[in-house]
Amino acid sequence: MTDIQATPTAVTPSRPGGLMGRLNIGTGVLGGLILMGIFWLIAYATLSHGPGDTDSFGSDRVICVTMVGWLLGFMIGIGAFNGPVRWLLGKDLATEEHQFLAGKDQGIGRYFRYTTDHKVVGIQYLVLTMTLFFVGGSLAMMIRTDLITPGSHLFGLQTYNAVVGLHGIIMIIATIIMVTGPFGNFIMPIMIGARDMAFPRLNALSLWLIVPAVPVLLSAAFMGGIPTGWTAYAPLSNEAPPGMDAYLMTIITFAISVALSGMNITVTAITMRARGLSVVRLPIFVWGVVTASLLGLVAFPLFMTAQILEGLDRTAGTVFYVAQNGGSVWLYQNLFWLMGHPEVYVILIPGFCAVLELAPVFARKPLFSYRTAVVGIAGIVGLSGLVWAHHMYITGWAPDLGGPFMLTTEMISVPTGLLILVLVGTIWRGNVWTRLPMMAGYAMIWNFIIGGVTGIYLSDIPVDQALNGSLFVTAHFHYTLMGGAFVGGIAGLSYWFPKMTGRMLNEKWGAIGFWTSQAGFQVTFMSLFAIGLAGEPRRVGDFPLTFAAGNTVATIGAYVIMTGMLIYLGTLVWSWKYGEAAPPNPWGAKTLEWQTPTPVPLENFEVLPVVTSDFYGYGEPEPALDPEPVGVPAQPAMAAAVPVPDTVPESVPADAVTSAPVTSAAVAAGETAVPPQVAATGEQEPGEDPAGAGTAKEEEQ
Amino acid sequence: MTQTTEAPPAAPQPKQRSQTRQVVLMWVVLTILLELFALFVPAHLMGAPASNDMIDIENSMTVFSVTAAPVAALVWAIAIYSLLRWRHRGSGPPDSAGAPIRTNVKVVAVWTAVSSLLCLFLFIWGEVELSAEQSSAAASNGTVIDVTGQQWAWTFSYPGAGGFTSDVLYLPVNKPVTFRVTSEDVVHSFWVVQLGTKIDANPGETTTASVTPDKLGTYAVRCAELCGIYHAYMEAKVHVVSASDFRAWLKSNKAQG
Repeated sequence: MTDIQATPTAVTPSRPGGLMGRLNIGTGVLGGLILMGIFWLIAYATLSHGPGDTDSFGSDRVICVTMVGWLLGFMIGIGAFNGPVRWLLGKDLATEEHQFLAGKDQGIGRYFRYTTDHKVVGIQYLVLTMTLFFVGGSLAMMIRTDLITPGSHLFGLQTYNAVVGLHGIIMIIATIIMVTGPFGNFIMPIMIGARDMAFPRLNALSLWLIVPAVPVLLSAAFMGGIPTGWTAYAPLSNEAPPGMDAYLMTIITFAISVALSGMNITVTAITMRARGLSVVRLPIFVWGVVTASLLGLVAFPLFMTAQILEGLDRTAGTVFYVAQNGGSVWLYQNLFWLMGHPEVYVILIPGFCAVLELAPVFARKPLFSYRTAVVGIAGIVGLSGLVWAHHMYITGWAPDLGGPFMLTTEMISVPTGLLILVLVGTIWRGNVWTRLPMMAGYAMIWNFIIGGVTGIYLSDIPVDQALNGSLFVTAHFHYTLMGGAFVGGIAGLSYWFPKMTGRMLNEKWGAIGFWTSQAGFQVTFMSLFAIGLAGEPRRVGDFPLTFAAGNTVATIGAYVIMTGMLIYLGTLVWSWKYGEAAPPNPWGAKTLEWQTPTPVPLENFEVLPVVTSDFYGYGEPEPALDPEPVGVPAQPAMAAAVPVPDTVPESVPADAVTSAPVTSAAVAAGETAVPPQVAATGEQEPGEDPAGAGTAKEEEQ
Repeated sequence: MTQTTEAPPAAPQPKQRSQTRQVVLMWVVLTILLELFALFVPAHLMGAPASNDMIDIENSMTVFSVTAAPVAALVWAIAIYSLLRWRHRGSGPPDSAGAPIRTNVKVVAVWTAVSSLLCLFLFIWGEVELSAEQSSAAASNGTVIDVTGQQWAWTFSYPGAGGFTSDVLYLPVNKPVTFRVTSEDVVHSFWVVQLGTKIDANPGETTTASVTPDKLGTYAVRCAELCGIYHAYMEAKVHVVSASDFRAWLKSNKAQG
């Protein structure tokens, strides 16, 4: 009682958020635990003694219902449903409440709340991703340690299988969100000149759905693990321990999150671009994030469907995948890979596009053949939905479709090759500034070529008969996803780190960590290629003596990777806290995010920018590039972004920019006559200087 | 200054031409090294083939490697060269920009055409191999063997010889055999490593695969689909023996059965 009386006077003025002001991750956990308890009691009382129940206490359906209770309770506790409920009650939010939700003046606490600001969500995604990588990486070390010599059962076969599945699905989840999460949320809206995402509350929802799903997934470790691999093929998954239920619930939750964020990102990029930012001027990274998000939006509901059917098979006695009762194991495999192959490109495209985005900055050159890059991305996205059955060449399903799937699979090498051409063409005769982001791009080229070429073997049906299900496949997808996409993610992180954290990443230690891990990576996965070719199946907890040398070398390499990744992670954490303060545009880049001050203020732009050219005009004389009459006959220093009054109301989520209404109105009066000195993007545009100076020295080339 | 914005420059300057020459040289050298690797390493790692299928598979590996080597070499050559010669050293951004090349239609066209042709070649090669495999499988009326996978063992049954079962696989050399594969519980994958044969064993379905072993010896059957705790130990031995030894082995088993 005393509390309640004390709060109104003390809190109301400073906490316009009302109820939301009291909710955070702590109340989320509390709500989750309470509802989990309630759901467990109800489920235990009503569901656990059904037919076929062998273990009434821990039966699958009780566990599933309990998990639903936890997920629902957490989302209620953190306030995910407050907005919709208020809306249903007809109580819309006031501006201060919007700004409170966006985390205005809340310091570090906003990272632990249901905060709608896209930059907060981006940082939350980044920390979440790094946590998942840490856990997934530790599990990988358990796998490699267990396999150091034949017969060395450090953890035992049961644990080995449980760990393999957990490692797989954690890494898949982490790599799916690693670029579109942190950078798609933090960077992309600024890149297109928006104040926030199109649906800020859905944005927070897509993040906070994953947070309670992580403990659900990790709880699998205490319930027999996920001993099916991350693919969770039926009917092996039917006989798996309750860890499988954790997998199902996680996937269902995660699929909702992916679909929501995919929709949000797509709508944002389509409707909230700055004036003048036509589709052909979009930074290539935006293309990457949007296409990957769209692909995820299409693919992940299938994954969810597959797991819901599996959940019903496990808990309700249905027989979707039970062959003896008329079900089909191929049904599961089809649903799974219909998601599973687009998913590879959901992971790959954003990472690749991050490198394409930063390559022009560090090569001081325009992106080579922008349209080719767009065609490449579009080609990959289009084809990726038509190739799923190459994962099923040797399953015996529809042998007549082997030829067509071989064709579509091999065709995808053409648009992928176009992206490589764009990257190499951008480097060609560049003035290559070899800082860590760019060097990670080089590592990505190296790895991705190996991953791509080994994919060619696997696309060929006769060769796949020898390689499918072997460690060759493991090595192949680690080269594409870890060596390609993940390294692209590291490039992006090293590149955008100064903007996101306000600190420079320590170059020396970052590079030491990165290159150490790369050296280990080559050793480990080259060994896996070799023993895979020699005939070692994947996901085996033991192996004959023939494969001993290769496995030992792979394990040694894994420890080198671990050392390097720990150094890189340590450098990240250290730099975040103690690193040198970052200038607004340390790389001299032209895209809009670098034209904002650091730290980026709430709602990003005091005055929304107008775009008069694309962002790749390095080394080009500015006026020649300006086909549009909108902008001023350009300032030499104003390449891409000429700030102009904000007269686009639909792009403002909370429609008052507190600090700038006067400026806005004042400038709006002079609509067309853009004052050349509108200092909307902070006090300086340092990035333009090098390029401007560069034009003068063009003749050297 | 004005001409350099148009890409590519109509008359390359001497410096640029010599750089291009150096890149090409590096490409050639890298290609030669990678071709040597492609010719000898992948097929060698796969071990001695013991069937026509496996010979085809290893040849395909080599052909694909040889075809891919120049492409990989080109990309790597440019990347390595750019680090050697076009590198900006220093802690600040470069003062000068690189060549402002927006695009080069000729390069894009050639790249697209070549990669499409390579892709077409790959597809045709695969189709030819596949149809050869399928037609030889269709033509063969050799020994039929029923293979059953279960957690965690393989069982082989010879219906042509009274249907006795064995946990060791005996195959006659140079005679086609057809496996009819199924599973009693979860999905397994029947893999005879040195014969290049692999087909899933699915519950409720029977899949088939054919092969003609052409080398005497003892080989390994492994399970290539995660099937539970002892997946790693789901192995069996394959003995490829002469026709007379095979007949003798069948006879001795029939007598026992």
